[in-house]
Amino acid sequence: MFDIIIKTLRTGRVTSKYPLKPDIAPVGFRGKPELIPDKCTFCGECTRVCPPGVIWLTKEKEEETLTLSYCGCIFCGMCEEVCPSGAIRLSQEYELASKTKDDLLTIIRRTV
Amino acid sequence: MSEELIETIKKEFRSDILDEIVSNNEHYLTVNKDAAVHICDYLYHTLNFPLILIFATDERAKERTKDGCFKIHYVFSCKSDLFIIIKIKVEEKSPGFPTLTHKIPAANWYEREIQDMFGLVPVGHPDPRRLIHFEDWPAGLYPLRKDFDIRTKPPRVKGEYIYRRVEGEGVYEIPVGPVHAGVIEPGHFRFSVAGEPILNLEIRHFYTHKGVEKSFESMSLDKAVFLAERISGDNSAAHAVAFCQAVEKIAGVDIPPRAKYIRTILLELERLYNHFGDIAGIATDVAYPFGAAHANKLKEQVMQLNEKVTGSRLLRGMNAIGGVRRDIGDKKEMILKELDSLQKDFMELMELLISSPSVADRIETTGRISNEIAKGLHVVGPAGRASGIDNDIRRDHPYAAYHKLDFKVPVIKAGDVNARTNVRAYEVYESLSLIKLALSGLPGSEIRTKIKKIPDGCALGYTESPRGEIFYWVHISNGRIERCKVRDPSFCNWLAIEYAVLDNIVPDFPIINKSLSLSYSGNDM
Repeated sequence: MFDIIIKTLRTGRVTSKYPLKPDIAPVGFRGKPELIPDKCTFCGECTRVCPPGVIWLTKEKEEETLTLSYCGCIFCGMCEEVCPSGAIRLSQEYELASKTKDDLLTIIRRTV
Repeated sequence: MSEELIETIKKEFRSDILDEIVSNNEHYLTVNKDAAVHICDYLYHTLNFPLILIFATDERAKERTKDGCFKIHYVFSCKSDLFIIIKIKVEEKSPGFPTLTHKIPAANWYEREIQDMFGLVPVGHPDPRRLIHFEDWPAGLYPLRKDFDIRTKPPRVKGEYIYRRVEGEGVYEIPVGPVHAGVIEPGHFRFSVAGEPILNLEIRHFYTHKGVEKSFESMSLDKAVFLAERISGDNSAAHAVAFCQAVEKIAGVDIPPRAKYIRTILLELERLYNHFGDIAGIATDVAYPFGAAHANKLKEQVMQLNEKVTGSRLLRGMNAIGGVRRDIGDKKEMILKELDSLQKDFMELMELLISSPSVADRIETTGRISNEIAKGLHVVGPAGRASGIDNDIRRDHPYAAYHKLDFKVPVIKAGDVNARTNVRAYEVYESLSLIKLALSGLPGSEIRTKIKKIPDGCALGYTESPRGEIFYWVHISNGRIERCKVRDPSFCNWLAIEYAVLDNIVPDFPIINKSLSLSYSGNDM
């Protein structure tokens, strides 16, 4: 019994105050993929390698749209790996819960 | 050694062997359908080679010109890093094949799986009920046949599943599940009890059958790695590495040594957090929350370390065909520091856990699996090693960097919950030392080989996951997956629980279950 008390006291508190205090993920964390619109060339390379297929390109009249949905994203980082212009990268952001599916979409557009 | 062995087998069954193919450490022998039982029995009982896998393939289309048919493969693991694969042909017109279950009990579920997924009938099987399909699945629909479209939405039909019954005065049935308390997966347990002692347990699984093997088919290889990684969440690294190794074997590629070392480190990190988690679970179930809290703390420490090293708590996204995707060399100091603290804390914890009479009282002699049962069912991993089965793929069929690193394989004969806890504890120390060894010897700088084209072919990939051996048999045709058979260790170990609980009391069931550490997801697939 005495041993247990000593071990407990020596270990102390290990839990953190999250979510009251922010808990920042380490560098290199596989979090929310972010698009950098200025760099994207709409080549569609990321759409081909995405295993769950949650990145897609659409073309309507003169407008090209690249949509990324966080709904089915598995944070594998294949998009980041293949992007020739560094326009998509995994961030340290992990708080992705939302009330609607629309909030989980990132859309960038360009006119051709 | 291996050539002599093959010669002995060929001499014994010369007239029954129709064809022979050797590729890497796999020796395929196509034999007469009627001789299969005899040959398998010889390999198993006379030569003492464990049966590690049975699976079927649908090669009707491929050989339509000749003799289009199904094939059943029986895989045996031999000493001196060799696999013998006995193949038989089964015609669609006469879908029966002789059952092996009478001779080798481990064949039981495999044969029933083949029956459900391919519609081939194991003639004389002692338990011909459905295994994977439920009663509402229409007869005559076999999902792994090539002519079954993956988008098929079969109609529900009426049917009934008959459980084994134990009858007598004062015998009651206790149905448990498929919905359980807590965040675990579904499975049904039907206990027959007389008072507290359990007379019989029948398990029923496959509630979360997702058709993983069908999904693999026609998938591109790069994407398939991520599917493999998600088959059993807490064995992500082991599944991904096993799949990648199978593909690399087909491609004939030797990945850079640094990638092999990194894979070894990842696999051992996975073993660490799983074993800590299992010990925590056992402590919880014997009502020793102090031990559970401390073991869970260790598990969390490893998962946070995983996150810092790989960016994922479950070590995901690290493996790719041809090597690994991130180098971990710059994290060496951090990992070593964390390992020292883990080792110290774990030693202190185990001393307290083992010396606690309330823990010992619950786990000693509880849930015994005898060596005979373990051997018959081919119980793998720590559960097998706790019942005196001296099997470890890392040592018997070395992969990654294991042949270069020194480690011991703990084996205990008692077969109870205590033995399974102790095997895990010993393995924790071995894993800690393996990671240190691998980190100190990290060679080279290349971490990935680019593979341009993968030729057609098939190969086995395997790893020793924290639960036991994982096998992948991958067949590639035109750069796509033609067939991918996955065998998770839980597929072997689930049946052992029916024996482990006999004569134990119902309140000990959770501890026995936890000590076997079984995956629903990996089993159901």
